[in-house]
Amino acid sequence: MKFSVNWLREFVELSPRIDALAELLTMSGIEIEAIEKHGTDFDHVVVAQITESKPHPNADRLTVCVVDDGSGTKRQIVCGAKNYRVGDKVPLALPGAELTGGLKIGASKLRGVESEGMLCSAKELGVAEDAAGLLILSPEAKIGTPIRELFPPDTILDVEITPNRGDLLSHFGLAREIAALTANKLRDVAAAVTGGRTAADDSGSYNHGVKISALSECPFYSARRIENVRVGPSPDWLRAKIESVGIRSINNVVDVSNFVMLELGQPTHAFDADKLSGEIKVRLAREGEKFLALDGKIYPLTSQNLVIADDERAVGIAGVMGGEESGVTESTKDVLLESAYFSPASIRRTARDLNLPSDASYRFERGVDPQMILPASRRAANLICEVAGAKPPATFGVAGKLPPDPPDVSLSYARLDRLLGIQIEPATADAILTRFGLSKSDSASRPLWKIPSYRRDLQREVDLIEEIIRAHGIEKIPSADRSRFTPLSEADDNFDFETKLRRDLIALGLTEARTSSLIARSEVARANGAIELRNPLSEDHVALRTSLIAGLLGAVARNIRAGAERIALFEIGNTFAPRTGEQQRRLAIALCGQVASAKDWRGAKKRQLDFFDLKGALNALGAFEFRPSKQAGFVLMAEIFYETEQIGYAGQLSVTTSATAPILVAEIDLAHIAQAKEDAERFKEMDRYPEVTRDIAMFVGPKVTHAEILRAIAAANEPLLEKVELFDLFMENDGKKALEMKKSLAYSLTYRDKNRTLTSEEVSAVHARIRERLRNEIGAELRE
Amino acid sequence: MHPLEQLCDDALAQIASAPDEGVLETVRVKFLGRSGSVSEWSDKMKSLPKEEKPAVGKLLNEVRIAITAAIAARGENFRTEKESAAVANVDLSLPGTPHERGALHPLTQMLDRSIAIFRRMGFALAEGPDIETEWHCFDALNTPADHPARNEQDTFYLPDGRLLRTHTSTVQIRTMESAPPPIRVIAPGAAYRRDEIDATHTTQFHQIEGLYVDENVSVADLKGTLEFFLRELFGADTAVRFRPHYFPFTEPSFEIDVKSSALKGGEQWVEVCGCGMVHPAVFEAVNQSRRDNAYDPEKWTGFAFGLGMDRLAMILFDIPDIRLFAQNDLRFLRQFA
Repeated sequence: MKFSVNWLREFVELSPRIDALAELLTMSGIEIEAIEKHGTDFDHVVVAQITESKPHPNADRLTVCVVDDGSGTKRQIVCGAKNYRVGDKVPLALPGAELTGGLKIGASKLRGVESEGMLCSAKELGVAEDAAGLLILSPEAKIGTPIRELFPPDTILDVEITPNRGDLLSHFGLAREIAALTANKLRDVAAAVTGGRTAADDSGSYNHGVKISALSECPFYSARRIENVRVGPSPDWLRAKIESVGIRSINNVVDVSNFVMLELGQPTHAFDADKLSGEIKVRLAREGEKFLALDGKIYPLTSQNLVIADDERAVGIAGVMGGEESGVTESTKDVLLESAYFSPASIRRTARDLNLPSDASYRFERGVDPQMILPASRRAANLICEVAGAKPPATFGVAGKLPPDPPDVSLSYARLDRLLGIQIEPATADAILTRFGLSKSDSASRPLWKIPSYRRDLQREVDLIEEIIRAHGIEKIPSADRSRFTPLSEADDNFDFETKLRRDLIALGLTEARTSSLIARSEVARANGAIELRNPLSEDHVALRTSLIAGLLGAVARNIRAGAERIALFEIGNTFAPRTGEQQRRLAIALCGQVASAKDWRGAKKRQLDFFDLKGALNALGAFEFRPSKQAGFVLMAEIFYETEQIGYAGQLSVTTSATAPILVAEIDLAHIAQAKEDAERFKEMDRYPEVTRDIAMFVGPKVTHAEILRAIAAANEPLLEKVELFDLFMENDGKKALEMKKSLAYSLTYRDKNRTLTSEEVSAVHARIRERLRNEIGAELRE
Repeated sequence: MHPLEQLCDDALAQIASAPDEGVLETVRVKFLGRSGSVSEWSDKMKSLPKEEKPAVGKLLNEVRIAITAAIAARGENFRTEKESAAVANVDLSLPGTPHERGALHPLTQMLDRSIAIFRRMGFALAEGPDIETEWHCFDALNTPADHPARNEQDTFYLPDGRLLRTHTSTVQIRTMESAPPPIRVIAPGAAYRRDEIDATHTTQFHQIEGLYVDENVSVADLKGTLEFFLRELFGADTAVRFRPHYFPFTEPSFEIDVKSSALKGGEQWVEVCGCGMVHPAVFEAVNQSRRDNAYDPEKWTGFAFGLGMDRLAMILFDIPDIRLFAQNDLRFLRQFA
């Protein structure tokens, strides 16, 4: 909310150091978000009238003006602006003036012509952003008047009021807080209320009927009838005041209602009394009842919504917005002014359900001060009499009872010290609470504090403790070191595992991405059964991902557009099972582009990333098995197994238009990687006897797979054979048809006995058996 | 001159003039080989008169050492020359062989750094789900229905009435529901707000929640813990200030601002954390769902805090736009490798 410092000063004495005030408020929990200067406070800047203007003899873009500043002597001023006419009144900075940004004005020669001062733009005076030309003043402005009288200086504070402090949503309320924090005296609110030329009071006849049928939503309602108003524009002071804090001026009656809300915090509403028929009824809306509000829109209501009604229809949504048909207009003669207490929960529900937040609902849902309801009504009536020419006495009607004061709260000084970790003298604590308007009862064994009507947020001991520390100063609390030994949790284990996994993946040349858990509308169909949000904000984030792939592909596409040569990304994140939303941790990898991103002067082969790069990365994480499979959208696809369980998949996507290289993706369940790692972590003795390696090169048919060859070799069950490695592969392609082509493979076989050194003869014997097997089992044509 | 001395001079001369390693080897065989001149002299020793033996023996030994050393030195020379010739034209200014190495996302790095500090302070990790109930996200955190701080407008709901947690404070409740005090945990995780996305707002962000419940935990402990954390993160000369604030689930509540020369615009206070003493109503709510009085507000006190990782990373790495985190542009990600 915006506050005018001048306005605050009507209630409490403030030091001229606004930044000190801002610091004080911020450090006591009332954050000042911005400080804006309004108006001007310059010496030596006055209203002047341009009486002559002629071209500058030496400069095309300048003119030479003669102005009357009321001193009796005319002054000659050189001016660069073009937006004025002779006879206009403009601000004149006389020699000695110092303007915004420290610009000092003196008498000088501009291109050879004397200039005794400067004519100013709005920006130079800091009253507006307009720097285009001179600020042309109203013709009524009196020549020679100091400019600060036309634009009185003020400071506007933009203050963040937390939701528990509805009592600060008015100038009086904030002034009361400042008074408590500074121990300055607060000007009595009664003065504000009874001030003005014509005092209306509550002794008028109580003859306007008000009936409340929903007492829990509206415990108290008052209506004041003010007759013979002349609705019209507000006087300058009223308009200036509400506009200075960002409220638009409508007419004098509505402006008074807003003024009182800004001043005292109590929203009031003015009805055109002649448009109401019969009694005021405060009731719950009928299911399906339609309401035409001030904003011109029709709102369908439910029995949850509290309305103000007359005999025929609803004329206002209580505490939220008035009705279009019963509002105050230029033709209004008599006004019925509402001032009431509505239950915060009810107002909040209604404003939320109708999506209709207003300045009034904002205050009601935070709780207004019951003790301010009638003073605010009197204040508004007085002001309407003053600015809209109405004549008292007003007539007045009420229903219900004002809500009682909040219950007393006890405070233990021992617990105060214990919670804060500092000793605070009871007298100090008492003094602070007393300044905040609380009063201590002496009778109780434990101090019991009476809470003022406007501080409903003070409900229990800790609330009082907070008041004490924010006034006492949290910087007075020392910093303590409270260490504790803590065993590793399951979450710690998970974190450590993922941290290591991330580092492994980085070492493999993959870069970590983090994409949104929420996927776009366009992805939902593909993510079978993804849970959709009930209230998405944009089409980009509508459902919970069931896989990490969509997000990762988005990142791939972005990087392709950005011209990346090598895209190698991974993400570790949550996915959400269809329907149940059960959370799973997964790893996904996406590859696209060149194997190497940087040029290598030693001419390493340029090659595109393919399925085997993906497979290699996954192999580095665990001993996984890849079983060929098929799936729509994939040109190559393998299911990934760990032991007997499928834990993910890896594949090459079918060609998409945006990619110039194959896109490889894999997704795998993290829990299983953890399992594979755990299984692998065992010591194995290092080999003590040398190995012997022998190679086998062969031609096989084009359909024979590596896996088949491995199986054939493994089936030989040779105990001396330690490992088999493929080291060469090519298709013999001399113009034959695909089926007649031959595939050449070369393997290196390693033999070892862990207890002795092998002889060449025994290795040869084993190797020969394996060769024979390959020839017989898979029809390999062995090469010598 | 003794013939041996003559032999030594010859050998040294031949070693010095050997043009390559091959010739040097021939010279070595000629003098030191099994039937070389020096070996011959060893044989001759046997036939020498007894009184000459010591002097000749000593001389012979000196000759052998001299020749051996000369050959070794000459050989070393040849090898050095060869090595130098081999690298004579190597240009050391050529680029090194490129290695493909990945990079951790800056948010991960931020989380890792923060978590490491808290772990040194004896905090264990805790977890909770992204999809939450209204109870864990609001009611148990002293934010009942119709509370002004319960901003349904900013909350994503699922069709079944559950929601995406708007803060990681849900893990406070989950942790206390599942274990009795004392509790000393941090919970990193994602949170969601139904906010229009711009340079400082996003629908999904990352937080670290902290909770410490024990006997006699006070505001002084809260201050000590978070000041230590922030000084570890931003540097020892970091100024830290606690400013009273309002959160429904802590009382008193604070926001923390820091000022550090390590940060761009180091003269400004920057808000980095929300925190406070656990509200007794939160303990009461936990007791209600535990069906016991394990968290008796008369006995236990605690503090809780929430740190925005996106914001901290932006401050620390001087990143101007929060949207960069979700875009995953490699040119961005690799800056933090």
